[in-house]
Amino acid sequence: MLAVLKAEEVGKAYESGLIFKKRHIALRGITLEMVEGKTLGLMGVSGSGKTTLGMMLAGLEKPSSGRVLFAGEDIWRLRGREFLAFRRQVQMVFQDPEGSLNPRKSIERSIHEVLGLLKIPQREWLKRTGEILEMVGLPEELLCRYPAQISGGQCQRVALGRVLLLHPRVIILDEPTSALDISVQAQILNLLKDLQQELGLAYLLISHQPEVIRFMAHETIVLERGGIS
Amino acid sequence: MPDVTKFSRGGLILFLSFLLMAVFSPALAPYDPWVRFEPYLPPGHEHLLGTNDMGHDILSELIFGSRVSLIVGFGAALMATLIGTAVGLLAGYFKGTTDEILMGITDIFLMIPQIPLIIVLAAFLRPSFWMVALIMGSLWWTSTARVVRSKALQVREMGFVQASRALGFSDRHIIFTDMLPNIFHVIMPKFMLSIASAMIAEASISFLGLGDPTMKGWGMMINFAFTRGGFINGYWWWYLTPGLCITLFVLSVVLLGFALEEQEEATMRLE
Amino acid sequence: MSSPLANAAPLLQIEGLSVSFETPLGRVKAAQDVCFDLREGETLALVGETGCGKSVVASAIMKLLPHNASVQGRAVFAGRDLLALGEKEMARIRGSEIAIVFQNPSLALNPIMRVGEQIAEMLQVHKGVSRSRSLQMAEDMLSRLGLVKKETASMYPFQFSGGMNQRVMIATSMILSPRIIIADEPSKGLDGVLAGEVMVEMARIKDQVGASLLLITHDLLLARDISDRMAVMYCGEIVEIGKSREVFSEPLHPYTNALLSCLPERGFQPIPGSSPSMIEPPAGCKFHPRCPQKQDKCMRRPEMVQVESSGEFSGANESTGREVRCWLY
Repeated sequence: MLAVLKAEEVGKAYESGLIFKKRHIALRGITLEMVEGKTLGLMGVSGSGKTTLGMMLAGLEKPSSGRVLFAGEDIWRLRGREFLAFRRQVQMVFQDPEGSLNPRKSIERSIHEVLGLLKIPQREWLKRTGEILEMVGLPEELLCRYPAQISGGQCQRVALGRVLLLHPRVIILDEPTSALDISVQAQILNLLKDLQQELGLAYLLISHQPEVIRFMAHETIVLERGGIS
Repeated sequence: MPDVTKFSRGGLILFLSFLLMAVFSPALAPYDPWVRFEPYLPPGHEHLLGTNDMGHDILSELIFGSRVSLIVGFGAALMATLIGTAVGLLAGYFKGTTDEILMGITDIFLMIPQIPLIIVLAAFLRPSFWMVALIMGSLWWTSTARVVRSKALQVREMGFVQASRALGFSDRHIIFTDMLPNIFHVIMPKFMLSIASAMIAEASISFLGLGDPTMKGWGMMINFAFTRGGFINGYWWWYLTPGLCITLFVLSVVLLGFALEEQEEATMRLE
Repeated sequence: MSSPLANAAPLLQIEGLSVSFETPLGRVKAAQDVCFDLREGETLALVGETGCGKSVVASAIMKLLPHNASVQGRAVFAGRDLLALGEKEMARIRGSEIAIVFQNPSLALNPIMRVGEQIAEMLQVHKGVSRSRSLQMAEDMLSRLGLVKKETASMYPFQFSGGMNQRVMIATSMILSPRIIIADEPSKGLDGVLAGEVMVEMARIKDQVGASLLLITHDLLLARDISDRMAVMYCGEIVEIGKSREVFSEPLHPYTNALLSCLPERGFQPIPGSSPSMIEPPAGCKFHPRCPQKQDKCMRRPEMVQVESSGEFSGANESTGREVRCWLY
């Protein structure tokens, strides 16, 4: 099994104060491996640094110590095009579904702008949009709506759809269903499972609910006060 | 809760009236404001607001005066807002060193005493009112910058900006399509209020006699009324009317800003 | 021998409550023909997914809906129809006789007023209690809800976490010993353990003051643990009512069954299809497009029917109060 994304002794410390600097260590010595087609569960109470770890693995935050390796390369040593390629391959779905969509962009626009980013020719946009909506189970009539007019579960699916357009290999899921009703939660979790099987995605599933982790994860790590317990 | 729509409609009508007044001055004014008639005439059939000490028709002066006030107002406000928005956005989005540098510059500009500087520059350089607008604009951007920066810092932490970064959009794209539209509703009222401030500042400078005498703005009119015997003789049609115009225009601007904020809130309550 | 609960006269009777909104997108039928009773001293949970209309029902009872809402039906409380009352009367009833606890505690509290004073204000305004006495009572209430420190009452809402603010809201609503408390998603935003604790405390106080609790929630497990009876809502209609434990162990309506299957302990089995639009809902039984047991009959709207329960939770002669809206019965 190929290890696709690795963390080696990753740590994050925050400094505050001008003269007498106070160091607050949020994470220390985290080493983990993510494998293609498998889900790694990440648990811990709120404040244990789960989201920070997820963001560091996605390259959205820089670790204060240690390395994050993608396909064997330290991501912070990658330059320009290579870093962009890494970004595309490791994606993140955030906790608050409505918050992850720009409230002033219609769903159609939010999807089209990703197609534009991928430099896909405009004449193909209609087809690709239809395909991605079907993949995440959304009706076409949602396209002209705005995030405030659709439900949380639908927002989450749109966010997921945008991410999938990039054909990532890894998706970091930060509490993907904790803001949703149980029926929607069941639907999204099953959708994620199906997609994993179909596309061979690797997931980092961050959640505080043990049942969700049990349902999805092949392996689990528990964070306690900044370290793996 | 006062009826907002009435206020905003009133503000809009007032604002547009002044705008039309400025644009169509030659058509609206009964006379050329530089043509001399008999001086110190009280309001009458021929001259609805009488004439000033030089015999110029006051009503025509008033109408042409709107041009000066509006140009200075808009010009200064536009410049201040553009500079302020750019500084605030970049500082709030990029944070770190960029933020420190930009905020440092802002602090320096804040230390400059603005009105005294304008007065001093106006006194020594005797600039045209275009210059006055420029000077004001280059000093006033600071408050907009701060407000925009704090809002930008807020918006930057919002989920969809993080999501856009994660998806790999360029900073330029994120700033223009994600951040700017969500900050706009903070910029607009500041812009409107800047117009008002600029106008009052211009009027004050002119009143002090430091304005451009070749273009008679409303402030200048009040100045002439004061220095040429208008106040003493109680020629209210001379000194009151420009003051009234300033007040009404500022009022209209404020009402418009208010209306824009209301509209913003209504849009956010989409469902 | 009948249990006191079964014979108690209903404190609040909702009859044929229907609410619809005119929106730019069309007419939203948020609630249709909702009927249920709230008995003295009981806790009734109104459960359903987000958007099924349960919050709308609560707001309708308290006459707190926006202007574009049209409401029909009756809400009889202490012999009077609340929906027919004037605003002044309602203002008197709100807070003192029927209290409502909202979803977002941090937004509902006055940020510039000390917490203790906000609670005490209720007593001062509604009951004319003296300032010192009301502050004392406020402190007592707070300590009963777990905020025991003396200084708590003199702090401001922004110094508190969401959970603490929620408890302050609950204290504010319960201090006047209202006869009915309506709690709209009280556990939202609180993590599992804290939510449980707060709800247990709320139930205890409710018993002490002898109030009835109308609990509105999408959290099925919370409803099962705290409520005596449960009403399940789908797309604006009540589809099943009964004793909570019975509904859980023996769900009658296919939707209830499907909803329970979504629970983690039952394997996260999703309900096929998606929630229907409230502007153009399905004809007849709202759930039939997604129902595994649908028949042709289901194109006609079923009525609520009483069902005799064979469960072990009922005595031989007493009516179990189990009702379902489904052609299967």
